[in-house]
Amino acid sequence: METTQMTTTAPAPVAVPAGSGPWQLARAELRGRASVKVSLAIIALFALMAAGAPLLSGLGGWAPDAFDKSAVDPYLGGQPIGPLGGISADHWLGVEPVTGRDLFARVVHGAQVSLLIAITATAIVVVAGTAAGIAAGYFGGRTDAVLSRLMDLTMSFPSLIFMIAMMSVAKDVNRIVLMTAVIGLFGWPGIARVVRGQTLSLTHREYVDAARVGGSGPWRILTRDILPGVAGPVIAYTTLIIPGMIATEAALSYLGVGVRPPTPSWGQMIAESANFYDTDPMYFVIPSVCLFLTVLAFTLLGDALRDILDPRGSRR
Amino acid sequence: MIRYLSRRLIGVIGVLIAIAAVTFTIFYVLPSDPAAAACGKSCSVERLAAIRAHMGLDQPIWQQFWDFLSGIFTGRTMGSGQYTLHCGFPCLGYSYENSEAVWGLLMDRLPVSASLASGAAVLWLLFGLSAGVTAALRKDTLLDRVLMVGAVGAASLPVYFTSMMLIYGLIRVAGLLPYPQYVALGTDPLHWASNLLLPWLALAILYAAMYARQSRSSMIETMAEPFIRTARAKGLPRRTVVVKHGMRAGMTPILTLFGMDLGGLLAGAVITESLFGLPGIGRLFYGALSTGDQPVVLGVTLLAATFIVVANLAVDLLYAVVDPRVRLR
Amino acid sequence: MNKRPLRPVATALAATLALCASGCSGTERPGSSRKNPATANLGAVIGGTPQKGGTLTVLSNQDFTHLDPARNWVMNDMDFGTRLLYRTLVTYKAAPGTAGGDLVPDLATGLGTPSHGARTWTFRLKRGVTYEDGTPITAQDIKYNVERSFSPDLPGGSDYAARYLAGAEGYQGPAQGKHLDSIKTPDAHTIVFELRKPFAEFPNATVMPTFAPVPKKRDKGPQFDNRPFSSGPYKIESYQRGKKLVLVRNTHWSASTDAVRKAYPDRLVVVMGLKANQIDDRMIASEGADASAVPWYALRPESAAKVLPNAEVRQRLLAESTNCTDMVQMHTGRAPFSDLKVRQAVQYALDRDSVLTASGGPAFNDLSTAYMPATLFDGKQPDTLKIPKTGDVEKAKRLLKEAGKPGGFETKMTVSTGDKGRAEAVQQSLGKAGIKVTIETVDPSAFYATIGDTKNRTDMVYTGWCPDYPSGSTFLPFVFDGRYIKEKGNQGNHSLFRDKPTMRRMDEIAAMTDAKKANAAWRQLDGEILAKSPTVPVLVRRWPLVLGTNIAGAYGQTSFGGQLDYATVGLKDPSKSQG
Repeated sequence: METTQMTTTAPAPVAVPAGSGPWQLARAELRGRASVKVSLAIIALFALMAAGAPLLSGLGGWAPDAFDKSAVDPYLGGQPIGPLGGISADHWLGVEPVTGRDLFARVVHGAQVSLLIAITATAIVVVAGTAAGIAAGYFGGRTDAVLSRLMDLTMSFPSLIFMIAMMSVAKDVNRIVLMTAVIGLFGWPGIARVVRGQTLSLTHREYVDAARVGGSGPWRILTRDILPGVAGPVIAYTTLIIPGMIATEAALSYLGVGVRPPTPSWGQMIAESANFYDTDPMYFVIPSVCLFLTVLAFTLLGDALRDILDPRGSRR
Repeated sequence: MIRYLSRRLIGVIGVLIAIAAVTFTIFYVLPSDPAAAACGKSCSVERLAAIRAHMGLDQPIWQQFWDFLSGIFTGRTMGSGQYTLHCGFPCLGYSYENSEAVWGLLMDRLPVSASLASGAAVLWLLFGLSAGVTAALRKDTLLDRVLMVGAVGAASLPVYFTSMMLIYGLIRVAGLLPYPQYVALGTDPLHWASNLLLPWLALAILYAAMYARQSRSSMIETMAEPFIRTARAKGLPRRTVVVKHGMRAGMTPILTLFGMDLGGLLAGAVITESLFGLPGIGRLFYGALSTGDQPVVLGVTLLAATFIVVANLAVDLLYAVVDPRVRLR
Repeated sequence: MNKRPLRPVATALAATLALCASGCSGTERPGSSRKNPATANLGAVIGGTPQKGGTLTVLSNQDFTHLDPARNWVMNDMDFGTRLLYRTLVTYKAAPGTAGGDLVPDLATGLGTPSHGARTWTFRLKRGVTYEDGTPITAQDIKYNVERSFSPDLPGGSDYAARYLAGAEGYQGPAQGKHLDSIKTPDAHTIVFELRKPFAEFPNATVMPTFAPVPKKRDKGPQFDNRPFSSGPYKIESYQRGKKLVLVRNTHWSASTDAVRKAYPDRLVVVMGLKANQIDDRMIASEGADASAVPWYALRPESAAKVLPNAEVRQRLLAESTNCTDMVQMHTGRAPFSDLKVRQAVQYALDRDSVLTASGGPAFNDLSTAYMPATLFDGKQPDTLKIPKTGDVEKAKRLLKEAGKPGGFETKMTVSTGDKGRAEAVQQSLGKAGIKVTIETVDPSAFYATIGDTKNRTDMVYTGWCPDYPSGSTFLPFVFDGRYIKEKGNQGNHSLFRDKPTMRRMDEIAAMTDAKKANAAWRQLDGEILAKSPTVPVLVRRWPLVLGTNIAGAYGQTSFGGQLDYATVGLKDPSKSQG
């Protein structure tokens, strides 16, 4: 089996007892860490929240864009009525000031938008970056030169500035798709460099040479021999870039070039609520804590994965 | 060395031209009309056409791009008659919105962004590196754990949240600092620092946490290298080993990171400037975007790209100085 | 016009509220037992008479659009420019309440002399009035600036000269040595304007910065915007766009020739680019140097909760009405809004009350039941349609069904960035009736250009109109006369309403000689148009400003949309100010 073949050559210098593959080992090691358990629990919670957003807000009884005028005081600039930002049996996390929209419904729908964008953008980055990295590392020569120049060029772009510019230029497009594409566009060189380095070192391993001599075509070698070899660092790196993606979505929405009203996203919610941080602290704290926990969870998980799957490489 | 430098410089210029071309193209297909925006509310068709000609928008895009590129070195003259505009070297275009050359605007705002970036950088290097190195040397102790938990937490805090908490804690409750309002360093160094301290802290907390994590792992890796073991075996004092050998090699990856971060920040920390109301390049850029002030958008993008590529070049050169293993070819 | 500009307004509304302020300290809203806590200072001067000297700080989140008098046509900027930096032929009286709408001579000795049936207007200039370098101000310089305003290089200014001066068609400014023959300057102290058509209200137009003097040798084209040459009580010491503007005394200005400007502070410092909410917090706290500061822009709605319950802060709160009616305007020229029933569905579905809340609540806004603001109805708008303020969704759905759209439809609405909250409230309430609205936000600076492009604009826009002076003739014809629709750069009539009976009636009223009758006719026409619902009137905003504790001589100038009158503002104790 391929996996057993790989154990002898995998980059991870783990002492390998006979009969267990690296993935089993990794899983065993992951299970032993408390931080991993906690972060997986948080991620699972938010993932469930995002996936079941319509269901959950249905349980709460409010649509994310439904106003509730009875919950705010128009004479006080629309402050929520009641303590803690209007938390009540009716509104589980209170309401948005001015509009009286239900915060619980907005937070769960916001999770959907924020996580969807972050994870899709990450997927784009990982697929494009891995493909470019493997191609550059394996084929070398002109392919490598062109791809490496392209990586240098992309990395020289002031990415946030450019993303903001592109988001504000495009008008009649689906904001979520555009934002995903724009974030993805600037993320791929980082992972491509890691994969390229990894591929370079793998290309001249004996088993790859053996496969080549054995008559395997480049496609077969790439998918059967190289790709599994770079999988470890890629997985670790992927987990570590997700927080950056979430933060970028938040930044773009904060600057008002993200999702369109009334669609909620965590970044949009934080942007609006920052103005109420002292008059209605709960409104500000709730989306901030969600963002914080998600970023934290992915960072912890990524740290653990990197330690196990890629103890040396893939660091900037 | 000379050959290396000249090769790199050519590369830098190539990258900048490519970035200029991409930016230019994107904003040429931009649906909004800069002439219409400049023309204002009560705009006649003739007036619009005149402004368009004045701005050079009636020429083909390659001609506009060429005018722009050559204008950087030779300066440009726009319009005719009494209201001729002279835009001297280095001409990055003219902002009709602000009635000023783009270069002048950038140089007017640069001190704000540079003050913000440099002050924050000093703080985050100070705190980030000392925390990271300390944690690395005391690996697996309680101190290490506390520092790293703190770092991972701080790195995950949204900057919006930290900023608001800093404003609330240090301004509203404690009354220690004024609301940030940029004061030039030359006018009053004390007020410059006290007004910027809050934004510095907001940026530094985030970056210090990231640098602490990076420098710790980098130091741990280095300290396990054979040459450190050799140095130890030679009986060198621990201090010398750590500072002269360990830090020197362990800090090189940090240098790359620092180069990129500082390069990016110099051209405007858009979010931080917007959170604290600082009139830096990030704000200029954001304002220009919303008003369709195309020349300024292009100018900021180019300036930012320049900072990034120059910072990368500087980092590579510094590598040769810091790390004896690196030889420039 | 919307946030646009000229609007000599005498607010009958302000007067009625002011009367109430002394007697009942607030206004009652129908259906509400609570008093408006924001309007106690209407018509009053805050802080008494200022002392001379000190530095007045203005905290701003933005830069001026234009300070060049040929280009300055934004209400707030006109206040700042004409009260501090340059003088015009005629200006508004410096007084709170309705009196702020009265015209007084400024550079001129009188309000102008009409002849040829108000086709020719003659102004004589005061003698001994000089610029900041001591050189005398001449009639030729005023003519020169009017000519400059035609230059394609200097866009943005008011177009009254272009609309009324004879022979102004196609004129491109003085750059090629061409001049307007319809402005005559027989000597340095006389200026004569010849108009294309009779214009009895021409003195109202000469309040515009277009009618300020600019000497030819000081003209630097577009760069003049960054350093206007002063004829007013202050001159520019330094101006860093988007960062800071410092004004110092113009020693050549003399109070003896100027009855309007008091020029109390020695210096004015405008700090720009600050965060709006931080400005609000600083003004509320009013600590240290901020005690001698005023905000440039209106209080943000989210800061209302910090201001309204606080009696001390409320004493420093101005909240003059802007007199501009916010409207949801529909493109009546194409489907689906070409159908009256569909427009009425919008009218009935709209929950004006939630838009009002999004706009800062009843303390900072008044609901509209008619197009023209209350000023033009002697203080109170009629409610001819009696639509509940929270809307009538059932009726809206019925109307949609009658229009053959029982399931509703999708449409788009363009709003200025600052109106996003209001737009979301519109979106939400129309959504209940099945009208799904997508919001397009556009930066204020590009907003008018975007909605003025009648071909490419969205079917709905959210914008308003302010009467130029208290006459229906400055409201209804601008908003509803189909003959002034332009394909690009369209303004005012954003519903693209082309209704023959309406236009015929407007011509009839314009020809009336009896002002009282004309007024009554405008009011009636307002209701007739409302029944055809090309636009839905929503609310009239106030302009809330919280001032520092050391500020004196402050009131909202009704003619500048409630902005602080910079002619009279100063400090109680100049020694407490810094800088």
